[in-house]
Amino acid sequence: MNALHEQFIAEARELIHQATDDLIAVEREGFAPERIDRVFRAFHTLKGSAGVVELPAMGVTLHAAEDLLAAIHAGKLEASPAIIDQALACLDQVARWVDDFEAGASLPPHAGEEARAMAGALRHLLSPTETEAPAGSDREVSATATAGAPPAWVSRLIESQRRQITGHIDDARGDLVAFSYEPDRGCFFNGDDPLQLIRQVPGLLALQVDAREPWPALAELDPFACNLRLQGIATGRHAELANIFRLVPDQVRIVDVPLAAARRDQERDAGESDAAGLVRAVLAEQRQVLLVADQDEDISGRLGAAARAAANALRYGLRPDLAEDIERAGVAALSARSAAALLSALEQALAALVGDAPAGDSGLAVASGPARAQEPERPASRALRVDEVKIDALVNLAGELIVAKNGIAHLAKRLQDEVGDHDLARAVRREHDTIERLAGEMHAAILQLRMVPVAQVFRSFPRLVRDMSQRLEKKVRLVTHGETTESDKAVVDRLFEPLLHLVRNALDHGIESPEQRRSAGKDEGATITMQASRVGDRLVVEVVDDGRGIDPAIVRRRARERGIIADDELAALPDEQVIDLIFSAGFSTVAEVSDISGRGVGMDVVRATVERIGGRASVMSRLGAGTTVRLDLPMNIAVSRIMVVEAGGQMFGIPMDAVTETVRLGRERISRIKNNDGFVLRDRVVPICSLAELMKLPAAPTPAADTRLVLVTEISGKVTALEVDAIQDRLEVVLKPLQGLLANARGYAGTTLLGDGRVLLVLDLKEVLQ
Amino acid sequence: MSVRRDDGGTTILLVGKCPVEDAEPLLQLLQATPGAPLDWTKCSHLHTAVLQVILAGRPALIGPCGDPWVEQWVAANLL
Repeated sequence: MNALHEQFIAEARELIHQATDDLIAVEREGFAPERIDRVFRAFHTLKGSAGVVELPAMGVTLHAAEDLLAAIHAGKLEASPAIIDQALACLDQVARWVDDFEAGASLPPHAGEEARAMAGALRHLLSPTETEAPAGSDREVSATATAGAPPAWVSRLIESQRRQITGHIDDARGDLVAFSYEPDRGCFFNGDDPLQLIRQVPGLLALQVDAREPWPALAELDPFACNLRLQGIATGRHAELANIFRLVPDQVRIVDVPLAAARRDQERDAGESDAAGLVRAVLAEQRQVLLVADQDEDISGRLGAAARAAANALRYGLRPDLAEDIERAGVAALSARSAAALLSALEQALAALVGDAPAGDSGLAVASGPARAQEPERPASRALRVDEVKIDALVNLAGELIVAKNGIAHLAKRLQDEVGDHDLARAVRREHDTIERLAGEMHAAILQLRMVPVAQVFRSFPRLVRDMSQRLEKKVRLVTHGETTESDKAVVDRLFEPLLHLVRNALDHGIESPEQRRSAGKDEGATITMQASRVGDRLVVEVVDDGRGIDPAIVRRRARERGIIADDELAALPDEQVIDLIFSAGFSTVAEVSDISGRGVGMDVVRATVERIGGRASVMSRLGAGTTVRLDLPMNIAVSRIMVVEAGGQMFGIPMDAVTETVRLGRERISRIKNNDGFVLRDRVVPICSLAELMKLPAAPTPAADTRLVLVTEISGKVTALEVDAIQDRLEVVLKPLQGLLANARGYAGTTLLGDGRVLLVLDLKEVLQ
Repeated sequence: MSVRRDDGGTTILLVGKCPVEDAEPLLQLLQATPGAPLDWTKCSHLHTAVLQVILAGRPALIGPCGDPWVEQWVAANLL
């Protein structure tokens, strides 16, 4: 994977996201030219990049989408839900290809077929106006008055005649008109002189005369069969041209070319060669269909469809002559109830197209060279794209520096205790403080590099909510707040899965059907809010719905059925704590498994995922009014605050976020409950567990003093006192995951280096206390 | 006859108004003497059918075309 490919992948993903957002916005808020324009640009840029990294399948697909969008922009088509669906599906397809490309530096073997299918589907949406209407119909007369992208043939014409028309474009004397005139083959017999018509065109700027079909050898040339295509650009008015060509409306197309489009056309590159490839592909596909279908009983339907598809493709490819041949052959085939005639016509058309291709392609390659160089200035992003690995290396280095700094504190202590040089110890401590400050600032600055806005996660959701609410036939609006809130990339990256689950849950279980909402006196359209905010050094993300809320009675019943907790415990729990049981493993409030959220992962996974990165998940709900799930997360997970404790003669690190307080207990406060020690803390019985015992270490000889030291911890709502022999230190450390043989050891969150070079094991209390 | 060979017989001439009927004789001349240049300086009007034969045969042209409109707009297509 080279830099160009990496760049392409990153850029493609951004463009896909942006286009998706804009498409959804168009659907939600209606047509806005600048929005369609942005979507068009995104598709266009994607197509261009796909060309650069040589992914023709992607190019063909995007080209088809681009044409569709151009038609919308020009007002020829309305941005119907079907079109938006298809455009989104196209983006999905492209996103999958980008993934494939990233994985294997190429597209999967079936990409060509997928591209054809997708392009076909997109063209199908375009066809009612673009490919089926006769050329030069009134539609085109009015269509291009706006600054939409001109049809491909116009672009090509402008490009090839640039020299002739540049002066005019620069003078900006008014809009241009482009025409493409393909005289009937028999026109000479009818006494027509096509050039005579063109002589009358006012303000002609450029004329291009070429062959529709490749010239045969002179011996085979029929001098009285017109094989010409005359295309030109003029400053005249559309109506004037229409009047000149009034007797041959079926042979001419007239398109307004706003100056803006003529200039912008510098951006458009070799779309036409894609189009030629597409036409060939469509034809080849029809041939395939017919070859297979010949044994089929119901061949007439297929014949008609194949002939139509091929003819449309050829018209799109500006080969109406071949399209007619195909249609004639289609009729013949239908009456004969045999595909033979159509098949041979397809073969001929394919042969004719192949003959065309080289000339067209090479011409375009030349034309597109400068065009790409002149790609207009996009608002240049001032951001650097840096590989995450490099940043992580920096984070690690800064972490090491902090650890090394801890070593200096250790040195100062030794100076004081062992050497007894207080002055030197104080001086070293001062230096230590300076280095500590600088290292801390540097570490913070580097961590800042890893900070990304939660928008990165939020941005996938509008699409998701749209699709799911459609499937569930619920009306749901997604509102997001605080997208710019930043957090460490590691946190943000891990947010997606829990949020996805929460939003799915809200859509599937939380939000009622429109009828239910109406009868409950609520607005039919429900709202799901995703909000992120910074509270102290924590990131709080909430998913709020205004649905039916969680019924504590149902939760109780379910918890009892599933045996989540003991009956007496359950009876004692207040309602607010009952709904917290939805986070328990094996709990699901909807009996039937739905395809939206019932995939065997429950809310317990949400809580587990969040806790793994040092976060907490909680739920609040009011019956009938809605549910709020709150994820309280650390801003970054690169540095953890730990407490160094001693137990059974060994040192352990314990994450501070699990420890609520440390208590020194006199013997009289400890009571034996069943076969476990416990004590009462603020009217609550807290069991005492010995860390040494938990870690299967020999218990240290009971200290002389009659007190015992415990850390009160709260994990998943359970309060436990953890007995230790001593508390050594509080540190900020960089946790490293266990590696090698220890990688799968349970009970450890990771390791860190102490100031004196020893390795400290940091415990995962949740696992230890289980 | 507005299409013919010059006196030396090496060059094909288009003279005056060249109507649709000239297409076929021009085609025959081009076939008979491949490589013969075509002089259209005396051609005052060119019919599309004749132009088509020129486009298909691509003889070396001796210009400029006597029809200024053709010279201005069409000749560039024959370069």
